[in-house]
Amino acid sequence: MTATSHHTSAAPVSFVPRSKFRHSVLSGLAVGLLLAAVAYEVTKFLVTYDTLGRNTSIVMGYLGWGIGFLIGVGAFDHPLHWFLGRGEPSQDELMDEAGLNGGVWRYFRFTTDHKVVGIQYLVMGMVLFAAGGLAAMMIRLEAMQPGAKIFPVQTYNTIVGMHGLIMIVATIVMITGPFGNFVVPIMIGARDMAFPRLNALSFWLLFTAVGIFLTAPLLGGFPTGWTGYAPLADQAPPGMDAYSLTILFFVASTAIAAANVTITVMTMRAPGMSWTRLPILTWGVVASSVLGLIVMPAFLASQYLLVLDRAVGTSFYVGARGGSGWLYEHLFWFMGHPEVYVIVLPAFAVVTELLPVFTRKPLFGYRMAIGGIVGVAALSMIVWAHHMFLTGWSPTASGPFMLTTELISIPTGIVFLAAVGTLWKGRVWMTVPMLFVISFMWNFVIGGVTGLYLADVPTDVQLHGSLFVTAHFHYTLMGGAMMAFFAAVYYWFPKMSGRMYNDRLGRIQFWTLQIGFNVTFLAMFYTGLQGEPRRVADYAAKFASGNFVTTMGALLLGVSMIIFWYNLVVSARKGEKAVDNPWHANTLEWQLPTPVPLENFDEIPVITAGPYEYGSPYEHTSKPVPSAPAASAQEVS
Amino acid sequence: MLRLDKYARTILGLWLVTTVIGVVLVLNTRTLLPGLLPVAASDVAKSEDFTLGLFTVLAVPVAMLVWVVAAHTIVTARSREFPTEAGPVVHGNTVVQAVWLAGSATLCVGLVVYGLALLPSIYTPVAGTQLVVDVTGQQWQWTYTYPGYGNITSTSLVLPVDQPVTFRVTSVDVTHSFWIPALGVKVDANDHEITQAFVKANVTGSFTVRCAELCGLYHAYMQSPAEIVTPAAFRQWVQQPHPKVAPAA
Repeated sequence: MTATSHHTSAAPVSFVPRSKFRHSVLSGLAVGLLLAAVAYEVTKFLVTYDTLGRNTSIVMGYLGWGIGFLIGVGAFDHPLHWFLGRGEPSQDELMDEAGLNGGVWRYFRFTTDHKVVGIQYLVMGMVLFAAGGLAAMMIRLEAMQPGAKIFPVQTYNTIVGMHGLIMIVATIVMITGPFGNFVVPIMIGARDMAFPRLNALSFWLLFTAVGIFLTAPLLGGFPTGWTGYAPLADQAPPGMDAYSLTILFFVASTAIAAANVTITVMTMRAPGMSWTRLPILTWGVVASSVLGLIVMPAFLASQYLLVLDRAVGTSFYVGARGGSGWLYEHLFWFMGHPEVYVIVLPAFAVVTELLPVFTRKPLFGYRMAIGGIVGVAALSMIVWAHHMFLTGWSPTASGPFMLTTELISIPTGIVFLAAVGTLWKGRVWMTVPMLFVISFMWNFVIGGVTGLYLADVPTDVQLHGSLFVTAHFHYTLMGGAMMAFFAAVYYWFPKMSGRMYNDRLGRIQFWTLQIGFNVTFLAMFYTGLQGEPRRVADYAAKFASGNFVTTMGALLLGVSMIIFWYNLVVSARKGEKAVDNPWHANTLEWQLPTPVPLENFDEIPVITAGPYEYGSPYEHTSKPVPSAPAASAQEVS
Repeated sequence: MLRLDKYARTILGLWLVTTVIGVVLVLNTRTLLPGLLPVAASDVAKSEDFTLGLFTVLAVPVAMLVWVVAAHTIVTARSREFPTEAGPVVHGNTVVQAVWLAGSATLCVGLVVYGLALLPSIYTPVAGTQLVVDVTGQQWQWTYTYPGYGNITSTSLVLPVDQPVTFRVTSVDVTHSFWIPALGVKVDANDHEITQAFVKANVTGSFTVRCAELCGLYHAYMQSPAEIVTPAAFRQWVQQPHPKVAPAA
């Protein structure tokens, strides 16, 4: 549908639905639960021997849920239509599928419009942050004082794992999902993604995966933390199967989304939108997607083998029968370390995207910054064994992996030079998004520098497995990447919702978050250096003061998240109406009217200059010129 | 070419001042935050602590460079309203970019070379006749076997001071990690694999062995005493009767 010459017009397209029945998340849930029950019962009937039987039935039940849900939500309707030779869908059918005149319910259906998918991802991300945040609060309340006082130890371990994986999933999708979908196609001058139906499929696969994961506590939870280390995972209760199946569906979702966005940017850029005129957000999202496409399948493989171990009785990870836990660790970390860059690269891109707008200067060293992003992506694939310096696997390999890991600081430094160079002599417009950009520059420096301690074997010996590691990666992923997410939400909120957020609440949220976050994790560095291990339900008295401070910070952090939620929900309904381009920004999405019409552009614009020519003789006038034929929204020469 | 105007000179000055203050604070960490690091009871633990301090000192100028530019720009040129004028049009600066690249590369390579030089202290035995201790992890306890002393077994680790030790570490179930914070020793215990760690304690005292890899239900409680004693006390200890503590099969 993106290749059609269809023009949206103000008058609604007359269209009669094919039948009264409409697929939605409700029909998905119904068919999914039904198929899950059928698959579980049939397998239970067929597989009766020994303890494997139960795991096998549970795995089949989850597969039944996944396939059933996708059938029920209507994911296979059009492929089936086409497969049975019933011809191409009509233009009206395509527009209907894209959610034209679909009202609020289009957000609960298999809707193909990239802007709907973007908002679905944003809401899903917010829900995941709320769930993961709740788990974080439970962890901190338990750890506020020595002694396992609130939760049974098994429950505590499950909460730690739930918090970890929910947050990892949430942070992987938090920028690429909402903004890669909503903003990137408009930024490059396209009417939709290359494969709109695959786009919807990627979101509903994520929904399927999240649904599976939330059932893990009902099946005994899992004791492994989010890393799922085998052979511990081999002996875990059936909650572990929920973990594995979540990963299988989630990796399918990310692979489809990544291929889609990459192909979209490769093939659907507007005339004149060369690779060196692409807004840097697009570069970050594509680099992150390509990286994810390469490394995430290793995660899928690790869980596929684990499911076989648990449900079929293979022994890929069981030493007594020829397997090895090291195999799991390699598969896991081959994904696990690049995955943090899958999260961080879009964050780098958001920061460098927003800095020119809010300093009214061109991006410093645009091509260099792209080189930095691509360099980080490339190097990140050959660093994974720094997580294994102390496993005994191969001391000889520690040297090379130490080298590759520390080399990453060079391209990362380049991205930071772009940020620092752009700030240099800038006119800083202190909006709420800009506050978060600046906090990124504070927090990520701490996160990056402490990473060097863990990359160097002599310090890693003491710090590996301690709370120092936990504090370090929260500084990169939360203090760094998630601040970029907040910046992005506040920045694009007017375009996505049509309304302005509440500025005062935004600033209050910023300060509570910054103070809460830094108190939490600076204190955690302290207990980590003291020698407290990660993921413990109970600890020695000497760690008590640091833990108490950490919990106090975490509570403040929780308050700030409630303010964030409140601000977005209330502002989306009752906020002041947003103008089309509140930031006087040059990129294409701000040149379109708000709300952005279906299919975005009446005429595809022609691009004649780069996106960050603030203050230069090229700075046109960044006025909204949405429907002018051949308008270059980025620039006119 | 790079020329320093007033703006650049201010930033350079602020950077030097904040760096000096930061380094002074780092060098006095032990006074400011007593109890920050565990007692270092071996040479390798002392060297690890030194490396921590060295990296922190090196981190100060790097962090300050970013923070000073950001802070100075915000303090001098911020506004709540849309700025009436744009910033200077600078698309890049070859000299700055080259210097930045060279600086970060030098720092990075320096850290790698430094780390490589220290690797043998982690991965090879301390010179001298080795006392061998077989360490077995299981859910959720440690068992120590002394093959040089008639395979006596114990659930607390007892080592003579000033004696090079080789730990041969394994597990009978899941992956654990054998960690003695005071000695600066850590290596994973993997099922059906034997891994090694090396140390020579040079202070007597009572310390703790921790499991540092999440190993299931009672991971938080998987620890044992580690007693560093005089050679005479150690000889006396090995001659005591030792009830057999065998790891579960």
